[in-house]
Amino acid sequence: MPREKYRDKVPGLYHKVDAYHLVENLETCLACGKCVGNCPVASLTPSYNPRQIIADVLNGEASRWLQSEEIWRCFWCAGCYTVCPNDIHFPLLMMQLRYMAAENNYGLKYIMPFKRFGLRAREDGLTFAPGEKGREKIKRYRSNLGASPWPEISERARREYRELFDLTGTTAHLEKISDEDEKSVGLRYAEGRITGE
Amino acid sequence: MMQEKTQTALVVGGGLAGMEATIRIARAGYQVVLVEKQADLGGVTGQLYSSFPRWEDPQRLLQNKLEQIERCDRIHIHTSTEVRAVVQVDGAFDVILKRQPGSVERQLRADAAVLATGFELFDASIYGEYGYGIYPNVIDSLEFEARLRQWGEGRTDEPLPQSVAFIKCVGSRDRSKGYPYCSKICCMYTAKQAGLVKDLLPQAQAYVFYMDYRAAGKDYEEFTRAVIEDRHVRYVRGRPSKVLPENGRLIVRAEDTLMGVPIEVEADLIVLAAAVVPSQGTRDMAAMFGVPTDQYGFMEGDPFKPGQSGERVFFAGACGFAVETQGAQYQGAAAAAGVLALFAQD
Amino acid sequence: MSEKRVVAPKEIFPAVPESIFLFRSCTGSMEYPGTESAIKEIMKILGIEVVMDPDQTCCSGYLLTCSAYKPELSLAVTARNLAIVEKKNLDTYMFCNGCYGYNRELAHIMRHNPAYRQMANDLIGRQGYRYEGRTVIRHVQEIWYRLKDEIASRVVTPLTGLRVGVHYGCHYLAAQYGILDDGGYPTFHEEIIAAIGGTPVFFKERQLCCGYAVGRGFTHKVETVQPHLYKKFKSAREEGVEIMTTVCPGCNTALDREQPNLAQRYGDEFNIPVIDLAQLIGLALGVPLLKLGFEANTVPLTGVLRKLGLEGGE
Repeated sequence: MPREKYRDKVPGLYHKVDAYHLVENLETCLACGKCVGNCPVASLTPSYNPRQIIADVLNGEASRWLQSEEIWRCFWCAGCYTVCPNDIHFPLLMMQLRYMAAENNYGLKYIMPFKRFGLRAREDGLTFAPGEKGREKIKRYRSNLGASPWPEISERARREYRELFDLTGTTAHLEKISDEDEKSVGLRYAEGRITGE
Repeated sequence: MMQEKTQTALVVGGGLAGMEATIRIARAGYQVVLVEKQADLGGVTGQLYSSFPRWEDPQRLLQNKLEQIERCDRIHIHTSTEVRAVVQVDGAFDVILKRQPGSVERQLRADAAVLATGFELFDASIYGEYGYGIYPNVIDSLEFEARLRQWGEGRTDEPLPQSVAFIKCVGSRDRSKGYPYCSKICCMYTAKQAGLVKDLLPQAQAYVFYMDYRAAGKDYEEFTRAVIEDRHVRYVRGRPSKVLPENGRLIVRAEDTLMGVPIEVEADLIVLAAAVVPSQGTRDMAAMFGVPTDQYGFMEGDPFKPGQSGERVFFAGACGFAVETQGAQYQGAAAAAGVLALFAQD
Repeated sequence: MSEKRVVAPKEIFPAVPESIFLFRSCTGSMEYPGTESAIKEIMKILGIEVVMDPDQTCCSGYLLTCSAYKPELSLAVTARNLAIVEKKNLDTYMFCNGCYGYNRELAHIMRHNPAYRQMANDLIGRQGYRYEGRTVIRHVQEIWYRLKDEIASRVVTPLTGLRVGVHYGCHYLAAQYGILDDGGYPTFHEEIIAAIGGTPVFFKERQLCCGYAVGRGFTHKVETVQPHLYKKFKSAREEGVEIMTTVCPGCNTALDREQPNLAQRYGDEFNIPVIDLAQLIGLALGVPLLKLGFEANTVPLTGVLRKLGLEGGE
């Protein structure tokens, strides 16, 4: 990769990523690496590096992360946040970075499974209710416990939950999600320390 | 015109700064009452095995000061003693001292006070991830000085470590669990301690985990480079995330931030450079003598009079902020100069 | 920081609550319904009234963090659910770290950013709700710890000799303030285990996360989740862990359901049953096996029950 020119970077990218003002102390990052050392994903995929992601976002060049598969590997365990000397809530940055990636048609395949779950949750008022066969099992287990066969959730709850999906544009958004326009993502730095093109 | 020197100075704290102030005030002909909470003079310096940037024996330095103090009959030493109460009357202090054991109280009058109550190390057990207080082989820097002395004198009961890891900024530069400030002296004493590992245990590995190494002082950079280049201490840039037990040893998990890779280092002993925080004595004396403190409890001087608060109270050493042995002596001397100028005008 | 990270149980509970609102967890009522049942049984023994409400929905934090949709929906859903609790003048008790983490985080966002609370209230106002931010969000494990000694005094089946490995899950200890222990080296679950007669095992990787959160169990099972869990289970087995506890049905799903896949992929069977801490407490307190719902578990508890002399059950 040729020498990067700082003038080509996106000024204010940090605030574009953190559109919801959830990680307002990103500039307190000391680049100490405590997050990376505590990151279970980095230990398996060294090219996933929260410290470098913060630096890139602050420097105004996050495109390589948006195009990466790495950002979709984060477990959201907040091990980074737990040890951060400045309480930088990295998972909330990661969440928003993924939004930005998806807006640019990257990583859509990693959202697709949740389209189905989301739309089903809209009907149930519960997330991760399985299909018919799985429901039978749940009903059997619950009955054996002496509980109602299905979790006690009212018709009102389900109706209002659906309404909130519709009112916030979530239903329309979920229905629209498609991986047809997917731009491919890949592991950006296959060996961590070696920058392969 | 030479006035009779009747005034008495009270020096609280018998560490290096307090001793220096005591010697200089007494040498000028005034009486000095030196109060020390511990049984012996010497403070933190008395616990040190070696010093930077010259690898000198701090005990020789202390010995020199002690000899000066012992030779001077104007110095009145009260060890195992604390200042219990102070009342300021007509430009002087009525002071009540309490000596242990037995809680023997004693009252005296002083015309000026030098506070030199020093620092203590941040309680590193707040960092569960480093295992201080959980794993016996995780110790703080002052505990390690004692270990160095044992090794240096060839008396050890425990097996010698094959690998020692030093973790800097434990409590310093940490707004989440500690303090935002840099404790200033840790980079240098850690370099010294790591270098001593290689001197005393040539077969052992020494790793220093650092975020930055700060060597701002005369000969400091050369000292640190020599530790790296001549003593072959491995400096790893990255603030460790976790210490875990494994097969009877400890492992340190971190990122090598130069290479951008997560790493593990095996160690038998882990030394935490815990933050420098004001000692309890510093907090107590600041309150008793009405000395303003910063938000952390370190004493603050008047805007244009460093090391001085009001007309008759001076302070020196680490009660103002972390300071090296040399700086502590300078500050002790400066406080003495303030007292002498004051006494000369009385 | 003005807020304290770790607080003592008595600071959280100057008095033990007489009634709590128990927030239904989707996973804890469907995937492992024994969790909810066990909690209700223990609360009955402890004399704490459990209030639930069929109008409560899923917390929806999951849809937010798996990036399915932006925060607006989850903020509104959180506000609606918590508004329901506020009407009852109760504090909200979660039994899923996910519900706990998301509700806390979203409530925190609404507390510090009035515009978001306004937005959420505008939406749920149409349905006749108003969220004030009064109800305090807690986790039932906090009650277990607060009443550790009382629980210990009521043990009828001591877990003598049972080597229990604890899985704390991330979203209670990580990222939170005003919690019971330090994420760097937590011990409060182990203290509970010891109090009910078990042998807590501090295995090296006990703090590794379950890997399933925010949907990685769906998208990166092979690439990351399985090698990650393999590491965790190897470490647990090395220290002789016989059973693992969770306080999050989501973690429980990952740790329990994934074991056959690990066995197949790595040719290495662990057979370490994974249950909720409440289920384990229930075992010790003599809650009938039928009420604990172990039939939902993939890795059977047969060996553990035999060891405790509960084979066959009631």
